[in-house]
Amino acid sequence: MAKILEQVAENPFWFHECFLMAMPLGKKVVNLRELLEGLRDIDESVLYYHLIQSRLALDQPAVEYPNDFALWAANALQDSKLAEKLSSFDPFEYQNLGLVRQAVVDILEEYLWDLPFVPWARPGFEFHFCQASTVVMHSLISAQTLKEFCAALSKVGLDSIYYHFFEARWRLGELKSDDFSYWIETNFGLPELVTAIRDIDIYFYSLKELRETLQGLIHQHLGELCDHPG
Amino acid sequence: MITLDDYAPIVGEEVVGQLRRLAEHLQGRRFVHINSTAVGGGVAEILSWAVPLLNQLGLETRWEVIMGDPAFFEVTKAFHNGLQGFKVHLTPAMLEHYRQVNRENARRFSWEADVVLVHDPQPACLIEMLRPQAPHWVWRCHVDVSRPHLAVWRFLREIVKQYDASIFSMSQFAQNLPHPQYLIRPSIDPLSEKNRDLTEEEIKAVLHRLGIEKDKPLVLQISRFDSFKDPVGVIQAFRLVRRHTPCKLVLAGGEATDDPEGPEILAQVQEAAQGEPDIQVLLLPPDAHHEVNALQRAADIIVQKSTREGFGLTVTEAMWKGKPVIGGAVGGIVLQLRDYHTGFLVNSPEGCAFRIRYLLHRPEMARRMGQMAREFVRSHFLITRHIRDYLTLMILLENPGSRLIEL
Repeated sequence: MAKILEQVAENPFWFHECFLMAMPLGKKVVNLRELLEGLRDIDESVLYYHLIQSRLALDQPAVEYPNDFALWAANALQDSKLAEKLSSFDPFEYQNLGLVRQAVVDILEEYLWDLPFVPWARPGFEFHFCQASTVVMHSLISAQTLKEFCAALSKVGLDSIYYHFFEARWRLGELKSDDFSYWIETNFGLPELVTAIRDIDIYFYSLKELRETLQGLIHQHLGELCDHPG
Repeated sequence: MITLDDYAPIVGEEVVGQLRRLAEHLQGRRFVHINSTAVGGGVAEILSWAVPLLNQLGLETRWEVIMGDPAFFEVTKAFHNGLQGFKVHLTPAMLEHYRQVNRENARRFSWEADVVLVHDPQPACLIEMLRPQAPHWVWRCHVDVSRPHLAVWRFLREIVKQYDASIFSMSQFAQNLPHPQYLIRPSIDPLSEKNRDLTEEEIKAVLHRLGIEKDKPLVLQISRFDSFKDPVGVIQAFRLVRRHTPCKLVLAGGEATDDPEGPEILAQVQEAAQGEPDIQVLLLPPDAHHEVNALQRAADIIVQKSTREGFGLTVTEAMWKGKPVIGGAVGGIVLQLRDYHTGFLVNSPEGCAFRIRYLLHRPEMARRMGQMAREFVRSHFLITRHIRDYLTLMILLENPGSRLIEL
């Protein structure tokens, strides 16, 4: 096992840093019907922000809902049933954002269909649409061996974890893949570790938890030589 | 002098390194900030820390302060109140005076820049005279404009529309504008006199000097004497708490040169506090950062019971000091405090009183909330994150139309 940790990769892994600048549209909705209508019209970038990117914008401690829509249903509409439905939805089950949009629209439409009234947000808790621009930059941290990779994981910022795990899925066009498992697969094989990484339920973890989970998995598969914070 | 490296032990080497590498792409850019007060208030504080750091990073950054007479600041205070939702009356003469003072200030500014960042409405109108002096003009709004008074916003919107972009502290404040709007949260400087670590002796010395005896749990609100900060509501809450639990209240506030309403509100607060020896009202000079720091560290519970709030940097400061904070559920306070985790949000003097009692009876919970609050600030609301946002913004301005920029 020690040998694989020292084996030099054909291509080193360069960690990237990712800076997100949120861009509010100045458009808000006050009830569930307006949200449904809004979701049909908005750019995919807005959908992407509220489902995926917002976790990098402000990583609140102990938030139980994985996306802005579920959070809004719980906090603003005070409708925990809808919040549960929106939380259980996983955007990574769909091949593109068009299908993701349709899935969210379907959830809201079905929910509204059965309701005798339209749920309204409390005043001051309207839903505000946002999108983001991103600046991506090479960090100075790279890894040529798995041992270096493990060490680097604890050094890089959470924005790197976000970039290589979340952004990567859309960039690679393979929603079950990510930069880390792709690099390990193409340089070292290790099919069991690769599968384990791809099986991480990333949508439910905070970025900090995600980093720890990844380190834990590598530790579990490659043994003591790879430091694990836990 | 504080250097960028001094922040590494607080935020990590990698964060400081990121700033340097981002700034490499912006070397020599000329960056001008303009606001209306050199001391007092959150904007002046942010600029006093941000400008030297931006210069250290290789951006030629300068800070200009516009000057105005009392009549000008009466008008801009009316703008401020109107933007935060109060009904205010603006006459054509007032609006002309506003333009006139901006025109006079514009004559003093001969610099040329790559990016100009104009803070708040006071100097917003400068763009009409100075537009050719920079390719990128950005308006930075620090106030809660979630429900502005229409007449005021209608007037300002015509000015703001001329900018290339605007920045708000929360998405709730964004408006229907014909240019890109960005979200930048304000920040605090952990090494400034207001936030640096203090020794027990330093804290005691300040309490002694201010005549505060710490013989009971101390509840504190630090804020300018402004009706939106609801200091009278804090006194009401305190009186409700005092029926059950012994404690002290200190209301301490500075003055800003651009706020003419301060003395009137202070008089109201003094009247409300009359006859209650456990309430102390302190008027601090605008540069009393050391005293504010010591008061926050001495407090057991910190309150910021605002009814409107752009962001609430006093909340951030209190959280950074590991204190449990109770804040009004408005503006940026909502972003910072999460019930039972990083603080408590309240909607009334009664709610505020209830949460003060709750925390006074649960010191362990108060300690845990304070710790979580401090870590939340470390990740999101320190000046290094703010500088990174400025640098990212400048890169975005230089690449209009691109949503993903790879450097």
